[in-house]
Amino acid sequence: MSLDFSQPQRQSAAGIIINGAYVAQHLVRAMFIPLALFIVKANKTALLYTAFGIIALVVLALVYGYLYYLKFTFYLNPLKQEFVIEKGIFSRKHLTIPVEKIQQVNINQGFLQKLIGVYQLQIDTAGADSKEVDIRAISGEIAQALRQHLLHGQQAPAVQEIGIETSTNTDIPLIKIKASTLLKIGLTSNYGQSFALLIGFGYAAFHNIKELLKAFDNDNGQIEQFVKSGFTLFSIGILLAAIAVLLLATNIIKTFIKYFDFQLSKHSQSLLISAGLLTKKNTLLHPNKVQITEYSQNYLQKKIGLFKMLLKQAHAGREQSEKEMKNNNTEIPGCSAAEKDELLRMILDKLPEEGSTFKPNWRYLNLPVLFQVFLQMLIYSTFYYFIPEVSAYYPLAVAYFVIAFIMTYIGYTKHRITVSENYIIKQSGIWDISQEIIEPHKIQSISTSQYPWHKKLDIGHVTFHTAAGSISFGYGNFTEINTLVNYWLYQVESSDEEWM
Amino acid sequence: MQYFTNETIDLNTLPKYEETTLANPDPKYWKVIVINLFIFLLLIAIGLGIFILFNESVRINWILWTSLYIIFAALLYLISRASFKKRGFALREKDVLYKSGIVAEKTTIIPLNRIQHVALNEGMFSRMFGLGTLQIYTASGSSGDMHIAGIEIEQAKAFKEALVQRLDINTKAENE
Repeated sequence: MSLDFSQPQRQSAAGIIINGAYVAQHLVRAMFIPLALFIVKANKTALLYTAFGIIALVVLALVYGYLYYLKFTFYLNPLKQEFVIEKGIFSRKHLTIPVEKIQQVNINQGFLQKLIGVYQLQIDTAGADSKEVDIRAISGEIAQALRQHLLHGQQAPAVQEIGIETSTNTDIPLIKIKASTLLKIGLTSNYGQSFALLIGFGYAAFHNIKELLKAFDNDNGQIEQFVKSGFTLFSIGILLAAIAVLLLATNIIKTFIKYFDFQLSKHSQSLLISAGLLTKKNTLLHPNKVQITEYSQNYLQKKIGLFKMLLKQAHAGREQSEKEMKNNNTEIPGCSAAEKDELLRMILDKLPEEGSTFKPNWRYLNLPVLFQVFLQMLIYSTFYYFIPEVSAYYPLAVAYFVIAFIMTYIGYTKHRITVSENYIIKQSGIWDISQEIIEPHKIQSISTSQYPWHKKLDIGHVTFHTAAGSISFGYGNFTEINTLVNYWLYQVESSDEEWM
Repeated sequence: MQYFTNETIDLNTLPKYEETTLANPDPKYWKVIVINLFIFLLLIAIGLGIFILFNESVRINWILWTSLYIIFAALLYLISRASFKKRGFALREKDVLYKSGIVAEKTTIIPLNRIQHVALNEGMFSRMFGLGTLQIYTASGSSGDMHIAGIEIEQAKAFKEALVQRLDINTKAENE
């Protein structure tokens, strides 16, 4: 490694453009709709002024980009093993990250970065906001070298050298997802997400077209008319089929964009994952920093032997939004049983052994059935008596009743934990059946709870809190749960194994 | 290499967390809860009073609103009392226990070697009664943390000291 990171250095000079573009992009995004409306409605002189304004904005953005570039420096303190970033034009920010706290180093290349030929480097730590540590433009060579330094700096020098040597030799992908597999993944997974996306998109399209028509002052309810006529033209069956096709198409496109050319390889002691069609995303993570290992499979995936895996890492320290939580998770969208086992062996050292299984009491069903089935039925039946229009939909209500009940029941039969000496496996799900695996020494704290009316029945609940989220098992035999809790406490408290 | 044994563990001989005797919060803490409750209810009463004075429809039904308010206040008092009665905590050799809950009884256990840091918080009213709240944080975020309110300040300090010292031992062991 000839590159020296101990001196403060700037980004690649291309950073000026990247930073400028970044700011400009933010500005444009914020003003897009008003600007578009303005341009549509404005006359020539106003347009000219707008053009000047836009040019001025671009210049300003570039000036900002230049200043940001000047003031942004980073270096690695070899003595303290700290990575230091100083940034900010008006208010300076001094960021220090201990190398040992670094969980993950991502090297990405966005569209503009691809054009210019630079890379973006992001550092994930437990606790800190990942956006804070974001070097937007450095050359590929420096990015790779820096990543090596950051992830291996904490090890003894001898190990480091071996690590680098082997990393150049053995980069055979452990898991490689072919296009045909991606197609299978697209066809069988994430229906819920795509459905939500579709609804959101449909609503946005409807809303935006209306806005546009309003801007031209000729909105006479054509769209509502069109939608209505659509309903009368197509039978609902065709509409449903169209939605299904659209859903699968979105699913496949999404899968391809996100996971095209997905490769997972062992890189000395870390896992290197790269994927993406438009922007290539590289992720490097330490197997021992994974807190919860999850694999899941639905009915269709079971038929074709496909697994989805999720590696959950620590997000410790503070509350995070749902999105940030997801960013901390590394997903392997599809792998075979053999690949899954190989990966499990890598993360957990060995495959989880057989253990004793604990299932919930049937009273698990009470609350969900009451609140998700009977309450809805009650509301519907009140409406049924008072509003005659609703009563025609009673077949729908019956269908809901049956489906909701069956789903709750399936959820109940799948809910269980399997406990062995080194692992706790929680199974759950209705359609996607997931197995979450944690090692007892990664537990941070344990909660148990019990309703007073379950005391006689000896039923209770337990929740494990880990640095990557909580896992609960409910309505189990409370005596058994307590015995297990005592055992886990013994395991956590008697070993000095580190959780991270 | 440390001396290593690997005997079979008899699960029944392990110390049982559910049989630990728990210490209740200081009785004086009930006063703090009542003061807080009183202030909260007073603010609502003022709001209600303003409504009764200025809003026509509320003024007509003032009996209804006042009785609703009284029921709400009584319910809140009872819930607070029940919640206060159920709280308990214990410091064991290797972990901390805290029990709470209004309907469901929830016990949280944090092993000492998983504590990230400990804070001692003294609220305004708590300080008047010489009480403090011990906050114990783990790496699992808010869900697995512990806030033990109403411990006598001297005891809380000793408690904190004990935890912090053990923390030091832990981190030292890790560094070695």
